[in-house]
Amino acid sequence: MTTTNTGTTAYTTTDVPVGVQHGHGLASGQKTSAMTNHALEAKAIAKSYVIGGQSRPVLDGIDFHVDPGECVFLAGPSGSGKTTLLSILGLLLTSDSGQLLLKGRRVDGLTEVERTLVRRERIGFVFQRFQLINGLTAEDNVSIPLTMDGMPLREARDRAGALLCRMGLEDHRKALPTSMSPGQCQRVALARAVINEPELILADEPTAALDGKSGQAVMELLHQLTKEFASSTVVVTHDPRIYQYADRICEMENGKFK
Amino acid sequence: MRWNLAYRTLFHDRGKLIAGLVGVIFSVVLVNIQGGLFFGLVNKASMLVDRSNADIWIGHRGMHNVDFAHPIPERYRYTVAGVEGVAEVQPLKLQFVNMALPGGKYQQVLLVGVAESTNLGRAYSIVDGPQDAINRNDAIVLDRCDDDKLDSPQVGELREVNGRRVRVAGKSNGILNFLVTPYVFANYDDAIEIGGSNPLETSYLLVRLAPNADCQRVCRDIRTLLPELDVMTSDQYASLSINHWITRTGLGLSFGAATLLGLLVGLVMVGQTLYAMVLDRVGEYATLRAIGLDERELLSILAFQSALVASIGIAIGMGITIILKTLLSSPKATIEIPLMLYVGCGVLIFAICLFAAGLPYLRVRRIDPHTALQS
Repeated sequence: MTTTNTGTTAYTTTDVPVGVQHGHGLASGQKTSAMTNHALEAKAIAKSYVIGGQSRPVLDGIDFHVDPGECVFLAGPSGSGKTTLLSILGLLLTSDSGQLLLKGRRVDGLTEVERTLVRRERIGFVFQRFQLINGLTAEDNVSIPLTMDGMPLREARDRAGALLCRMGLEDHRKALPTSMSPGQCQRVALARAVINEPELILADEPTAALDGKSGQAVMELLHQLTKEFASSTVVVTHDPRIYQYADRICEMENGKFK
Repeated sequence: MRWNLAYRTLFHDRGKLIAGLVGVIFSVVLVNIQGGLFFGLVNKASMLVDRSNADIWIGHRGMHNVDFAHPIPERYRYTVAGVEGVAEVQPLKLQFVNMALPGGKYQQVLLVGVAESTNLGRAYSIVDGPQDAINRNDAIVLDRCDDDKLDSPQVGELREVNGRRVRVAGKSNGILNFLVTPYVFANYDDAIEIGGSNPLETSYLLVRLAPNADCQRVCRDIRTLLPELDVMTSDQYASLSINHWITRTGLGLSFGAATLLGLLVGLVMVGQTLYAMVLDRVGEYATLRAIGLDERELLSILAFQSALVASIGIAIGMGITIILKTLLSSPKATIEIPLMLYVGCGVLIFAICLFAAGLPYLRVRRIDPHTALQS
């Protein structure tokens, strides 16, 4: 593990939006350039919020990258812009300026439909408060990403069940989220994030709602699964107890890396 | 998966599901019962025509309601009888007269004179007394449902109609006038005599067609021969009589408004329930949006939930309607629900429920997937 500033790399990327293979066109004004090896790359990302009628910068020209299979932690005090950056990296928010490349392809400037498709096919999310669907069993919650891709529900349930068994939740496959402990819920959420082996996993304070032991267990699983699926991972955290799982830690302050 | 997600989340929150179902059930029952009462009521306006056993009604020019007849020459029956395709013609006499009640009060009644030798115009069925009651001298037939208005006359009891003594010879059940005026049936000659009317005039001529006769052609032929009279099939005259009351009394408007209200209540309740369910699940919808469900797919989930609430609610509502109809329908307050009403009501409420999904959809559209990270 190293604690670094992300620094700036010499970029020679191919600026082609992803997601176009499903019939979605290129965003206008996007150009192509040479490929890089980064799984995810953000260049000069800036974002401001208008608060009380005044524009307040949250991210100020951030450069960031994650390599394939790498696990990067974003740390820093509250309000430093970690979650906003994670949202932009996960295509949940659009930046005011800058470029975002996923596997060398431009993904900023995509339409909402295209961004949704990229999230569905290439990104897994782990949320602080698990964000499970309360009406669905653990197995069905984990099945969601598979069935969104068109897999029949029965087959998706089989795969989800197998993954839950691996995660020590064989007795909770049919349990509703309301009947599970926070640690179990986060493991289900983790299973949902990795079930379709996404290229990128984004986790927003995955251990914040868990006790130390459960947090360690969840991080251990996340670490194992991302290594197994060769997924790149970005984790926003305040929790120094889990820093051991990071390949690199980027500390943020006032919308910039330290 | 969307369907699995839709129905599992719908059934997970049973309280809200029940609230939505109550809305749909209420709408279905209200619309069907209101509609059934409406049809039951307006059908009374044509009861005399519907049960007359006649194929064609002939009356004065501009006839518009079976109860309000003007005299026509009775001799025209022979002209009509000569038309090809006519098997039988009988006169029918209608006249408003007064019946003296035992307490000294009077009740206006509509005296209906029907020919003795036929069932043409004989709209009643005897349920109390001899079947040939009307053929007896000075006999009248009353309806059980009018007992309250006529001070409970018994079979065999003497009454005075238009100052002439008559005997209650039999009673029918369920021949009610659209007006508050009871029908009193008598044989044709007695009716002329009781009413003191001109025997050369009658109110209607009723025609029974010969087998395989073309009703429209016979009507045309009669019109050619008697251009000063109106000639209609029984169905036409029944519709005309019903429309007279619907349009002239505003009955259709008031029943229609009440029915519309029922639909609106259903729409609001289903829309509100689905909206409340969405509000409760904004976080879940944001999560689904974040992990890749698009707007169209979310709309399909809402539409499926609406369709499910509608289908279950309509099925339960129809069941309750049938039970209520069986329990509550009586000759006085007849609930007549034609199949068309059941089907139309079901389709309409189903469509309204789908439309109601639009309300929560407006909220879902505004859900920012980014909020999944903030909740």
